[in-house]
Amino acid sequence: MKTAIMIAIIVLADSAGDVLLTKGMRQVGEVSTLAPRELLAIARKAVRNHHFLASIGFMVMHFVGFLAVLSWADLSVVFPATMLVYVLGTLAAKFFLQETISMHRWAGTMLVCLGVGMVSLP
Amino acid sequence: MWTERIRIIALLAVAIVSQAMGNVLLSQGMKLIAGETQLTWNNWIFIFLQAVQSPPILLGVGFYVIFFVLFAAALSRADLSFVLPAISSEVVINVAFADYFLNETVSSIRWIGAMLIAIGVGLVVRSSPRTFGMATGLDSMTEGGR
Repeated sequence: MKTAIMIAIIVLADSAGDVLLTKGMRQVGEVSTLAPRELLAIARKAVRNHHFLASIGFMVMHFVGFLAVLSWADLSVVFPATMLVYVLGTLAAKFFLQETISMHRWAGTMLVCLGVGMVSLP
Repeated sequence: MWTERIRIIALLAVAIVSQAMGNVLLSQGMKLIAGETQLTWNNWIFIFLQAVQSPPILLGVGFYVIFFVLFAAALSRADLSFVLPAISSEVVINVAFADYFLNETVSSIRWIGAMLIAIGVGLVVRSSPRTFGMATGLDSMTEGGR
C-alpha cells in the first residue's frame, strides 16, 4: 500500500512537472536559435517564469520520491509502474495544454506504454 | 512541416543520447561508491559528499543538465504528447547497450518490449509534432517552422 501511494505520487509529480514545463516554455517563447546572447535571454526569462520554477519543484519531488521508494521496493516493481506517466502525460496534454491527440499518436503511446512495461519485467 | 519535424527529432535524438550517457555514468559512479560505502539512509551525508567529488557522477549530472535543456527547448516548439513518447526510445538504447556493451543477458520478452517501443515511437513521430495553438499560431508554423 505504501509503495502504491508512493508510485502514485511519483507519477503525478512527473506528469505535473512535464505539463508545467511545457506551459512555462510556451510562455517563455520558442527556442529556435543557437545565438548565445538570445539563448541567455531565453534562460533569464525561463528562471523568472512561475510555471518553469514550479516544474523544477515537481521534478525534484519526483526524483526524491523515486529514490525513497527504491529504498524499500524493487526496481522491477517500481519501473513498470512509471509507464503510467505516458498515459497520464498524454491525457494531461489533451486537457491542460489543448493538444490534439490523433489515433496514430494514441496507438503509438499505448505501444510505448506496453513496451516499457515489458522491458522492465525481471 | 517536415523540416520542423526533422529539427525536433534531431533535438530529441541528442537529448536521448545525453540522457543515456548520464544514466551510464551515474550508475558507474554510484557502483564505485557502493563498493566502498554501505548505501543506507543513515550515512546519506557521507554518500552525498562522496558523490559530489566523483568525476563520473559530476559528468553524468552534466549530461542530465544537457538533456533537460534540450527537453525544455523541444517543448517550447512541439507537443508534450509528441515529445514524451519519443523520449522513451531511450529505453530501446538502454536495452541495446546492456546487450552489446555490458554483456547482460537480455531476455526475449525485453527485446519484444523494446521492439514495441520502437514501433510506438515510429507511429507517434509520424503524427504532426505540433497541434497546440494552431488557431492562432498557424503563421509561425508555415514559415518553415521559425
